[in-house]
Parts: sequence; C-alpha cells; structure tokens
Amino acid sequence: MAKKGLKGNSSIRRFTKDGLAFIIVAAITLEATSLVQYIFARKGIREEATMRAQSQMEAANLKIKNVIDGTETAVRGSEWIAAWTLEQPDSMIAVTRRLVNDNSIIVGSTIAVVPGYLKDRRQYAPYSLQLPGSDKIEEKSLATEEYDYPRSEWFTMPIRLQAGYWSEPYVDVGGGDILMTTFSLPIKDMKGKIAAVLTADISLDWLNSLIGNLKVYPSAFGMLVSRGGKVMAGKENDSEELKSLRKDMSSGENGQLTIDLGGEENLVYYAPVDKTGWSMAVVIPEKEVYGSFRQISFIVKILQIFGIIMLFLLLRYTAKRQAKMREISEKKERMEGELQIGRDIQMSMIPKTFPPFPERHDIDMSASIVPAKEVGGDLYDFYIRDEKLYFCIGDVSGKGVPASLVMAVTRSLFRTVSSHEKSPQRIVTTMNNSMADMNESNMFVTFFIGILDLKNGHLRYCNAGHNAPYILSDTLAKLPVLPNLPLGVMPGMAFQEQEADLKYDDALFLYTDGLTEAENANHELFGEARTEKALHGRMSAQDKLESIKTAVADYVGDAPQSDDLTMLFIHYVNDAKPDMTEKHLALHNDIKQISLLSEFIDNIAEEQKLDSSLAMSINLALEEAATNVIMYAYPKGTEGAVDLDAIIRPDSLQFVLTDSGKAFDPTAAPVADISLDVKDRPIGGLGIYLVRNIMDQVYYERKDGKNVLTMIKQI
Amino acid sequence: MEVNISKQNGITTVTLVGRLDTPASPEVEKALEPVHENATGTIVLDCKGLEYISSSGLRIFLSIRKSAAAKGGRVIVKDINNDIRSVFMMTGFLNLFEIQ
Repeated sequence: MAKKGLKGNSSIRRFTKDGLAFIIVAAITLEATSLVQYIFARKGIREEATMRAQSQMEAANLKIKNVIDGTETAVRGSEWIAAWTLEQPDSMIAVTRRLVNDNSIIVGSTIAVVPGYLKDRRQYAPYSLQLPGSDKIEEKSLATEEYDYPRSEWFTMPIRLQAGYWSEPYVDVGGGDILMTTFSLPIKDMKGKIAAVLTADISLDWLNSLIGNLKVYPSAFGMLVSRGGKVMAGKENDSEELKSLRKDMSSGENGQLTIDLGGEENLVYYAPVDKTGWSMAVVIPEKEVYGSFRQISFIVKILQIFGIIMLFLLLRYTAKRQAKMREISEKKERMEGELQIGRDIQMSMIPKTFPPFPERHDIDMSASIVPAKEVGGDLYDFYIRDEKLYFCIGDVSGKGVPASLVMAVTRSLFRTVSSHEKSPQRIVTTMNNSMADMNESNMFVTFFIGILDLKNGHLRYCNAGHNAPYILSDTLAKLPVLPNLPLGVMPGMAFQEQEADLKYDDALFLYTDGLTEAENANHELFGEARTEKALHGRMSAQDKLESIKTAVADYVGDAPQSDDLTMLFIHYVNDAKPDMTEKHLALHNDIKQISLLSEFIDNIAEEQKLDSSLAMSINLALEEAATNVIMYAYPKGTEGAVDLDAIIRPDSLQFVLTDSGKAFDPTAAPVADISLDVKDRPIGGLGIYLVRNIMDQVYYERKDGKNVLTMIKQI
Repeated sequence: MEVNISKQNGITTVTLVGRLDTPASPEVEKALEPVHENATGTIVLDCKGLEYISSSGLRIFLSIRKSAAAKGGRVIVKDINNDIRSVFMMTGFLNLFEIQ
C-alpha cells in the first residue's frame, strides 16, 4: 500500500508539474497579449492626444491667422490712402480713425511720419484709439517728447525690413494696460521713398481666452510665445524646463516632446503661428492622457492574476481528483483482473467442449453455467467411465468468491470420490462427510449425482437437497427424487439412492434454481411453467439449452441477473443397443440364498415370457454356478458377497456372477465323462457340466481381485 | 421337499415330492440312508411329484444306484417329468437307471 501511496503522490506531482507548465504558458500568453494590447492602446491614446492637441492648435492657429490676416488686409487696404495723405497730413487722422472704426479688432492706429519728411513738422504721428468697451474713438498724437516714436520697434523694423512687420507683444501703458501687438506697414511716397509707417494695434486679450481654451485635458494648458520667447498668453512659469521649451518654440518649427514639471511627465506639442513668428504650445500631463487607461490596465492585471491563481487552484484540484480516481480505478481494475483469473480457473474445472463425446452415438449432451458475478457457486461435471456416464449438478449456498471456493472443493471431491466408487449413494455419503467435517463457514451445497449406464439406460441417482431434474420421455415429468439434506450440513447423514430407466430417446434436464428464480424487472420469477414450456419440443442438446437461455434472457430483459444459472441437458440416444435391461441380485455365501435365485429367475422368466423348461434349465445352471461359489469361494465361517447381474435382451440372457473369494476358474475343471458305467461314475463334477451344457457361452475372468463368470443363453 | 419311504412285497418305494435343489439335498440324503440297506432288492424312486432336481439331487440318485449295483439290487425311476428327463439325458443318467 505504501508503494501505492507513493505512486499516487507522484502522479499528483506530475499533474502539478504539468499544471505549472500549463499555468506559466497561460500566464505568458496572457501577459504578452495584454502587453501588445497595452502598447497599441497606449500608442493609440497618445496618437489620439496628439491629434486632439494638434487639431485644437490648428483651430486656434486659424483664428489667430484670421485676425492677423484681417488686420493686415485692413492695413494694406489703407496703404494707398495713407500714401496720399503724405501730401495732406491733416487727413491722416481720418485714415486712422476709419481703420479703427471699420475694424473692431483694431484698437488703435497711427500714421507715423518719418521725422523730417514733413517740412513744417519734425515729428508727426496722429493716433486714433478706441479703448475696449468704449464706443468713442479718441484722437491723440504720438509725437510727444516722452514717447519718442521714431525709436519704437514698430516704427524702425518695417522701415528697416521694408515690409510689413508684427511687433513683439507689449503692454500699452497709455492704452488701458492691455497686451497689444502692432502691425506696421511702411508707406512710400510718390518717389518710392519710405515716408511713413501705417500701424494697426490689436489687443491680444482674446488670445488669452483662445489659448486658455486649449484645454485638451482637464489639467492641460496652452501657451503662446512670441518671437522673442515672451509669453503672450497662457501659463507663465519661470521653471527651467519651460524656459528651454520657450527657446525650442521660438525656433519657429513644429515639435513634440516630454518634459518634467514638478515631478510629473507632460506631453508637449508646439507649432508656429503663421507670419507672426509666434509659437503656440499645449502641455498635457501624461497621467491625464493615460489616466483611465492606467486604471483599466491595473484592473486587468489584477483580474489576470486572480484568473491565474484560480486556474492554478482548479488544476491542482483536478489533478488531485484525477489521481484519486485513477487510484480507485486501478484498484478496481486489479480486483476485476483477479476475479477474471478466478473465473478462468473456475471455468477450466468444468467440461466446456460441446458436444463432449463426439465419437459416441449413444449420448448427446450440453451444459451451461452463467455466474451472476464474475465467479459463482454453481457447478456441473460429467465424465464416462466403464461405459457409465457419471454426472452431477450442484448449487453452493451464497454467491461470489466464497461460494466459488466451495464450488471448487465440491467439484474436486466429486471427481476424487467417484473415481473409485460406483454407487451414487456412497459417493454422496463420502462427499457429505468430507464437507461437513471441514465446514466452518456453514456453507452447504445442494447436489444431484447420477450414474447412467450407457449400455442399457439404467440410471442410478442420489439427490442431496437439489431440485428434481426433468425427465423428457413420452411426456415431460419430474424425476421422482427423495429430498435428502444438502451436502455439508451434518456428517454421518444417510442418503438414499434411487433408480430409473431411460428409454431410447429419453432426456434429462438438470438445472439450478437460478433458472426458475430468474427475475424480471418486476421481480416476477421465471418459474416452472415457463421452464416446462421452454423444454417442450425435440432438438439437439445444444439447441435446447440455447433456446432455454434465449427464453430466460427475453423474460429477464434488462433486470440484473440475481443468481447463478446452470443447466445440464443429457439426451440418451442408445441407438446401439435398444431394449436392453439389467437386473441385479446381491447374495452372500449362505446356501439358503439359492431360493432367492430361483425367485429372481422366475421373475425374469415371467417378464420375458420364457417357457417353464427353459426357465428351469437356466435356473439349474445358475444354481450350479452359484452353489459352487457359495460353498467354496470364501473360507468357512467368513461372510462374502456374491453378485449376480442379468442383462436381458430380446434374443439373449446374459448372467454375470461375481465374487471376491479365492481365484477359481470353474471352466478349467475336467469335463465329466457321462459314458462311464455305474461303478466308474464319480459322484461329483456334474454341476459345472450342467452349466456348460445348458448355457450357450460360459467364460471366466479374474478382474480387480474378483472372479467374474459370464454365462449367456440365447433365447 | 417331502420324502416317503414304504416297503411292500420286498419292494422299497421312495416317494419324492417338491424341489430337490441344493439346500434340500442334505435332508433328503439323510432320509434315504435306510434305503441303502434295502439295495439287495428292488428300489422304486417315485418321481411323480418331483418338480426339480439339481446336481446334488442327482448325486443322491447315483449313490443309491451304486449301492444297488454293489448288492445286486435293482433301481427303478418312475414317472419323471420331461424337464427332469432332459436333465437325465444330459447327464447320461438315462443309461444308468431303469426308467418307467
């Protein structure tokens, strides 16, 4: 068992090992799948963020561009009239006024004349201004001592570049402290010389709300940086990272990067704003981009781990269960294997080849045994010895292995005892004594033994508690049996023998109660009526048993077989010697027994309708032979048996006289001389002379320590 | 088995009735011992009632016949049935006895 246990554990280990490998593969696959998914999802999310940032920036850019273009268009539209006013400087204010009035975005406008161009005035820069929220346009002059417009960037740069120029954003001190920028366009006179600069100031307040709306994500923020790296709108922060970002932005190119702000990674997208040299940026905290995604990834990971653990536990449980099941089924298989061997051994004990005596024409037999379990307690057996068929059928109380052991013992005893014993009664008695002596388990066997003389159909039998066999003669009947007790109940029991004669074509059917007590699904018995019906009709022994088996199987259906079922069918054919009968007379060595002999002969004579002279002469011959044996075979004062068997055929009578006394061959005695005269005739010697004269054949044998004298008389 | 012995006019008549088989022989033999003394004369064995005879009975017949032969007497077997006659024939007794 210890070995078994180890085996069981190792199978669990093997399962666990397989299970672990399985789990690892599953985990790797799962992890790889989710990694790929993660990478693609992350990439997708980032692309989404990029797209959102860029599209918003593009939208903002478009708005800025519209304003810028609108402003430039308005200014360039007034270029020619501004040039014209060089000749009429007093009209300049009207031009600026109109620019401010006609373009809501333009807060202020001036035409600043290059100093010295006008002869009458050294500096001239009339300025129209409409403050936000006011519908009144003020008029001012920028040609003041403190302002000194010729040095202003918005004045110098367009002249230097000889092209329109957008100024760096600035806070206009005089114009309501708002962030402004100015577009300046150089104005040339008729000679093509730059004479003045026409400007339009626009407020950048709307940029703040525009950039402020670049909130792609809740905590994201936008930034607009001027050419010089100055923050025009959006978050202002002097951290090194933002400074370097502003520097990157002022390169005037598109870009995207990741920066660390206060310990958090941020995605940054930036793009230049057309014409202005400005650059716009959106800064998005990474955790917001990937926020919910990370959360989902985390949950997914937790679920994965949970799943793997569950898988592991499930596999382990299954492995244990399988190992256990396997152990149980191995155990069962082993047991079934052993039972199968037991069954084979049991079946090898009983004759199973049918027909069993193919060379004989006087007997047709078949037998069948169907145990309810693998092994059973039913038995049958048969064999032929000295032209006699010894057969038996038995049913051990109980079923299964214990019954099968008793069955084996019973069968061995039958073979052993019957091998040297001719009387069924003595065989049964001996078997009963052996079995009762060693019967500690109180099992018993119902048993029927028969000895059928194949020469003449004479059946001697002895029943020990078994069901009466059927005899199929002209009609179907039960063989009359004395019940007697089963074998093994009590030692020293007396069993009684019975006899019967089988005629040509008669048959015997022996069975165990597994037949009559076969149950169908409703627990109804097959019974004797069905048995008798199944026995009806003539066919070969083999076919007969098959038809009974079929009848039982049809009746029982799917119900489980409740008891062992055994049948033995013996068809006595005896076509070799029909009409032969045998009689037996047992005598002992007392001369008075001779009177029994004459009765015996008288009976035969009467049955065979012999005439009285023949009967007398036969009587005389037998008396002479028997007298010889009675008087001389055994020593004086001892008792000895003298047996006379008569075999009666229609055309002859055969007598066999047997004794166990000293060897003596009466046929070897000298033949009496009946021609002698009175004086010479010996007084004795006539007995054997008469036997020889009356009988047609007389011969003597010494056999098995016995004198056997056979005498035949033709009739 | 019945045996009767009577004498008349010097003739000894033995009447045998029944079965003279082996068990019956010793008694018959004993009963007939006196007859041997009359073997000088005529002995008639009346077998009218004799049903059966075995070799032991034949031995008794033969011993009487031997006594008569030795003493010059005469033995007459009277009225034997056919079955016994055939036994006599079989054994040569027909030649030894005077059968009437």
